[in-house]
Amino acid sequence: MEKTCTRYRPEQISRFVDHELAKGIQDEVARHLVSCPDCRGLVDRYTALDRGFNHLAEHEILKFDPDQVKQRLGSALEDSRPPGIRVLKFFNKNIYLKLASIAAILIISLIPFRGALFDPSGPSAIVKSVDSDVASIMIFETQKEQHTIIWFSET
Amino acid sequence: MKGFITKIFILAGFFALLIQPVFANSQVLTEVKVIHASTGPVHVDPGLKPFASELESVFKYTSYRLLKDEQMNLEFNREGRVNLPGGRTLIVVPSDVKGKRIGYQINIRKNNHSIFQTRVLLKNNDSITIGGPRYQNGTLLFNISGSMH
Repeated sequence: MEKTCTRYRPEQISRFVDHELAKGIQDEVARHLVSCPDCRGLVDRYTALDRGFNHLAEHEILKFDPDQVKQRLGSALEDSRPPGIRVLKFFNKNIYLKLASIAAILIISLIPFRGALFDPSGPSAIVKSVDSDVASIMIFETQKEQHTIIWFSET
Repeated sequence: MKGFITKIFILAGFFALLIQPVFANSQVLTEVKVIHASTGPVHVDPGLKPFASELESVFKYTSYRLLKDEQMNLEFNREGRVNLPGGRTLIVVPSDVKGKRIGYQINIRKNNHSIFQTRVLLKNNDSITIGGPRYQNGTLLFNISGSMH
């Protein structure tokens, strides 16, 4: 059945059923439904669909046995694994441990040198102090490369 | 496993020694460019193009001419001198290293009298520009860069 009322789109009606509309619009749609059998019909259809879906989902969840699934998945994985890999299982774990040790030790040994290896962020120069007899001094930096400029006027 | 960890520690120590020379260098390559900037006919010296394009966002100058380019290999706390136009002298002294920044003391003298001095921490392989003195219908800019390897 085609919807003839054009005040609200089917997506909006669907969101009304799911309580996803803003509070004010939700109330507006509710008021409109009192006088619009067309939109009310659509609300009924969506509600029925929702209910049916929820029922089906609940039914399927009740049938679900996590232990059974885990057991099936485990045996499927075991069967699909080549024999060589099954033998190397223990060594695999050991390799990860070794790689983790290497990574950890390298990171620890690099900490004191992080300043030497990576560029510091910020301006090209940090001005610690300025001393002058001149009338005015300005310190600024360019936007693109953060190039530091000290400007002084001799007069 | 114990032997393996020992080997890793030895490797890490060796790696650390390889990085150490970054700090061990006691000389700083310091370059001073003396530039005449003005609002005259549009002109940028070939070596100054990146510099001029960076500065055009903050300055109104249309002409950048390189008057002098001096490179000095300076030891820490040893001064490098550059004679500037108008009886001025620029004195740069690398003082120390903090992180990856080089500490510099910069002094500009005119007629044997200090008119400007500053202490800065300059990013390695980067530069600072000091400008302002009027010269021949334009302005002098001093671009000072430092690098340690």
